[in-house]
Order: sequence, then C-alpha cells, then structure tokens
Amino acid sequence: MEKLHCAVVDIANERLDVSAAIEFVSDPGFGGIAMFVGRVRDMNHGRRVAGVSYDLFDVLAVNIFKEIASDTLHEFDGKLKIFVTHAKGRLGIGDLAVVVAVGSPHRDEAFRACRMVIEKVKHQAPIWKQEHYEDGNSEWSEGCSLCEVHDHAQHAGEHASGH
Amino acid sequence: MKIDLKLFAAFQDLEPTGQIELELPDGSLVADLRLAIDDYGRQHWPKFRPGLLKASAFASETTLLRDRDAIPADGRMALLPPVNGG
Repeated sequence: MEKLHCAVVDIANERLDVSAAIEFVSDPGFGGIAMFVGRVRDMNHGRRVAGVSYDLFDVLAVNIFKEIASDTLHEFDGKLKIFVTHAKGRLGIGDLAVVVAVGSPHRDEAFRACRMVIEKVKHQAPIWKQEHYEDGNSEWSEGCSLCEVHDHAQHAGEHASGH
Repeated sequence: MKIDLKLFAAFQDLEPTGQIELELPDGSLVADLRLAIDDYGRQHWPKFRPGLLKASAFASETTLLRDRDAIPADGRMALLPPVNGG
C-alpha cells in the first residue's frame, strides 16, 4: 500500500487536484482526513496582487517533500497516508498553489500531521514565490533561509544521536 | 574542477540564463564555492546583494549541503536563496 504521494505540478500541463488528494489518503481504516489548500490571494502587505509565479528546484523539492512526509509518517507510527503537491509556474488569483492532505484513523492525528507537513513544506522546500502586482511591478517574496533550517536540523540530529 | 551552478529566483534575475560555470581547485568545499560566487557577483552583477548570498544555501541535485561539505565530483550544484513555498 502506497502511503506517500509527493509531486511538483507544472501548471502549464495540469492543475492541482483536490479530489485526487482525498482519494489517495482514503482508506477503510481511516475515519479522518485533514487537508490544507493554499490559494493565491489578491492582496499582500497592502499591495494589490495580480498573480504569482512559483519557481522550484523540482528534483530536490520532491526529495524534501518525501523526507518531510516520511518523517511525519514515522512520527505518527505509520498510521497515515500523506499527499503533497505544489504548483510550478504562473498562477492567477484563486488558483491552487499547494495541496496537502492526510488520512488517519482519527481527526486529531490528521489535523496535527497536516499542519506539520505544510509548515515544513513552506520552510524547508526549495520553492520561491514572485508576486506580480497590479501596478506592473514584480518582486520575489522574502523567505526562510535554508542555512538556518539545515543547521537546526543538523544540530537536532547530533543532539538526538548523543542520547 | 568545473562547477555547473543552477540559479533560482532573485539570482536568476541577475543571470537570466539561470546558470553559471565556475572553476575551482579539485577537492573544494561548499564554503570555497560561496567565496567564488561572491567574487563573481561583485564583478559581473551590478545589483548583486552579498547579504542574499550569505542567507542562501547550497545543494546537489539530491540533497542540501553545508559549507564544510565537499562539492560533489560531478560539480553539479544549486544556489538556493531563502525559500517561500505554499
């Protein structure tokens, strides 16, 4: 039984699929599904947004999605199915940017695991967002340094292995 | 060794081809590559921001690398500015 689905979706070819996410994480033994759907909004820091472009380092992004999903699965003793997809390319207002879904026996694990996955995807995966404003300007959004994330993870690993 | 460096986001704005080639001594570390990019940026990119490079990470095709790590033998590397998914 496949428990993890992780992918980058080039929106020039297809769109993110919420129904596919629900179907993937469904299981006869699972009574709960939690989902996070990220959409493009029309305003950021007081500026009218016309759209956004996402750039990804595809191969590494999928590897990191898999690491995040595997770690989360381990954290919850394997009793989950996890679906992670992120869009690549130019999106308009309301378009789907990211879909994370988690199925589990009960709602508490589903909510907590879903939150864990989306937070790590936002902070650890090689994804960059460029906002296009209605005034014609575009800017890359401020982000999280992977140096700090990596150092923190490395430190946590060294700490854990010492006990 | 020849380094093929992929660029993303704000760095791609500086170098629209999205990649540069650099030459480093065999056995160089990621920290050496960081210094080489700093030199390259100051010489070739009028809008280069050293602070952005300082906040950026490095990766091979498959994994994140730290400054003290050796550059993979194939020289294929990526420069990853701060990320902002979701």
